[in-house]
Amino acid sequence: MTTTCEDPEGSRALTLLTERYRDGAEPPSPAELDRGLDTLLAQAPGKERRPGLARWSLVGASVALAALAVLGIASGYRTRLPAPEPSTLTYEIHGGSAIEGGYLRESGHAGVQVIFNEGSTFALTTGTRGRIRTVDRKGAHVAIEHGTASFRVTHGGGRRWLVDAGPFLVTVKGTVFTVSWEPLRERFELRLRRGSVVVSGPVSAGEMALRAGQRLVVNLAKAETVITEESPEPANGEAAGASVQRDTPAPVPQPPRVPGQPTGAVPSLAPVPATVAKSALDHRWSADVARGHWDRILRDVERVGVEEILGRASSDDLFALADAARYRRRPDLARAALLAERQRFPDSPRELDAIYLLGRVEESRQSGTARAVAWYDKYLIRAPTGPFAGEALGRKMTLTDKLEGPARARPIAADYLRRFPKGNYAGSARELMRAP
Amino acid sequence: MPIQPAHVHLSLVVSHDRRAASDGDLARALIAGEGWAMAETWRRFAPMVLMMAKRTLGSQSEAEDIGQEVFQRLFRKAKALREPDSLRSFIYAFTIRALQTELRRKKLRGWLHLDHPAVWSGQGWGTLDVESRDLLRKFHALLERLAPRDRLVFILRRVESMTLEEIAATMGISESTVKRSMRRAANRLSGWIGADPDLAGLCDTERWVR
Repeated sequence: MTTTCEDPEGSRALTLLTERYRDGAEPPSPAELDRGLDTLLAQAPGKERRPGLARWSLVGASVALAALAVLGIASGYRTRLPAPEPSTLTYEIHGGSAIEGGYLRESGHAGVQVIFNEGSTFALTTGTRGRIRTVDRKGAHVAIEHGTASFRVTHGGGRRWLVDAGPFLVTVKGTVFTVSWEPLRERFELRLRRGSVVVSGPVSAGEMALRAGQRLVVNLAKAETVITEESPEPANGEAAGASVQRDTPAPVPQPPRVPGQPTGAVPSLAPVPATVAKSALDHRWSADVARGHWDRILRDVERVGVEEILGRASSDDLFALADAARYRRRPDLARAALLAERQRFPDSPRELDAIYLLGRVEESRQSGTARAVAWYDKYLIRAPTGPFAGEALGRKMTLTDKLEGPARARPIAADYLRRFPKGNYAGSARELMRAP
Repeated sequence: MPIQPAHVHLSLVVSHDRRAASDGDLARALIAGEGWAMAETWRRFAPMVLMMAKRTLGSQSEAEDIGQEVFQRLFRKAKALREPDSLRSFIYAFTIRALQTELRRKKLRGWLHLDHPAVWSGQGWGTLDVESRDLLRKFHALLERLAPRDRLVFILRRVESMTLEEIAATMGISESTVKRSMRRAANRLSGWIGADPDLAGLCDTERWVR
C-alpha cells in the first residue's frame, strides 16, 4: 500500500494514530466483566433511594440544589458522585521506614507493617523487599520485588488496590491474601483467604480470577500453573484479622497503642515521610509528561542545570526526564538520565527498565548499535522473563543481523521464536530463518 | 413455621432463552424489576460501554468506573424508560453523557491543579512494543490537550465511527456544532502531530503502515 504524509495538516499520520489507538484497545476479558458485574450487583441495593427522599419540601429542595451547584463548581461539575469522593489515603509504617523510591526498609527483624487510614493493612515478612509505588485517593499500588507479603484490604470507597509481585499483577478491591514472589526460582504464590482477586501475568491462561480459599502457584521456570482449594476464611472481620496473624509466616508487629485512643482503632496518622512524598518538581514533571509538555521539562533542566538535576532528582524525575529527552530526540540527555538512575538507585526494580531503555537510546545515537546490543544482553541476563524480554531479544536479533549478518542472527531468531512465537518480531525472525 | 407465599413475578419476556431476548424484552424485564435482567443487560452492553469509555479516557480503570456509573444510573432509572425498544440508544446516551461530564471534570480539576493527569500506560491496549507505546502515549497527551467537547466529538466520530447526526442527537448539540468541533479537533491534532518529528514521520514507519 502506498502512503503519503503530504496530505495537508498531516492527516494521514493522524489517521494512522487514530486507527492504532482504536484497534489496540482490547475488549474487556470475561474475568473483568464478571468482576464488574459483581461490583455492580453488590452496590445496587445501597444505591436505591428511599421513598421519603422524594417528598422534600420546595424550600428543602432549593437549598439542596444550591448546595449541589456549589459542590458542582468546586468539584469541576462532577455530577457522578452518589457518594463523596474518597479522601487521599495516608499510612503509617511500623517496624521500618520508607526510603527513596518508596522502598520499605526494615528497622528490626520482625518485618514491616503499613497501616492505612481507611483500615487496610499490609505486612512484609522479614527480608522481603517491597515498595509503595503510589498512594492517592483512588487507591494504592504496592510492588513486591521478592519475598512474602500479607494484605488485608478494606472494601469500599471505590478504591483500587494493585499489587505487583515480580511479573504478576494482582488487582483487588476488598480481600485478605498472602502473596509471594521468588525471582531466583521464578515462583509466584498467592493464597486467597477472603474476597476475590484477579491475577494477570505471563501465564497461558491470561487473567485468572480467584475466589476465597484458592491457592495459586505459578512456576515460570517449569511452566507450571496450579490452583488448589483450601478452606476459605469466614467473612467475619475479627476472625479474618486473627487468621492473618496466625498464618503469616513471620509475626507481624502490631501498631503501638496511642494514649487516649480505644484499643483496635487505627492510631492517628503521622504525615507521610518526606522521603516518600513526591517533590513539587516531581509531581509537575509527571503531569508534564502526561500532557506532552516535554519541552517544559527540558527548559527546567536548562534552568536548574543538568548536573544538579542528575545528582539530586528523584527516580521518577529521572524517568520523566529520560522520556522527555527521548521524545525530543536528545539521546545524550536521555542516556545521562538513565545512567544516573542506575547509579543512584541501584536497587530499584526500575533499574531494569533503565537498562532496556539505554539500549533504545544507544540505537538512536551514532555508532551506538554495538552498545545497544550489550544493554539488551544485560537486560536479558538480569530479567529473562521481564516485561521487555521479548523486545530486547527482538532488537538484539535485528541489530545482530545488521551488524554481523544473518548467519549470526539466526540462532537469536530461533531462540526468539521458541520463546515468543507470537511476538512483535516473530515475522522478522521467520524471515531470518528462511534466508539463505 | 408458616409457609411464605411464593412471589412469582409475571414475566413480560416470552422467550425461553433469556439470552435470546430482544433489547425491547430486556428493557421491559428491567422495568418489571426481574433479577436476571440486570445481569443480562450488563453482559450484553458492558463491553460496548467499557470499550467506548476506555478509548475516550485512555484509561482502563477510569473506564471501569464509568461503566459502574452508567449501569447504576440505568438500573435506577429503568422505570423511566419510555421506549423499551431503544434500550441500546438509551445506554449510548447515558455513556456519552457520563463521558462528557468526566472529561469536563478532569479538565477543570486540571486547571485548578486538583488533578494531575496520569501518564498513558498502555494497560488494556494489548502488547505494545516500546516504540508504539511511546507514539500512542504522545497521541494520548495530544488528546488530553483538546477541549472536552472537541475531544469527545473526535473520538465518537473517528474512533467509534458514529455519524454526525448520531453524535449531535446523543450530545444534544446541533450538527453544525459537531462539524465545527470535529474540524477544530482534527486541525489542532494535525498541527501538533506535524510539529512532532516522531509523529509526523509515522508514515515512514513500516510496521505502522499496513
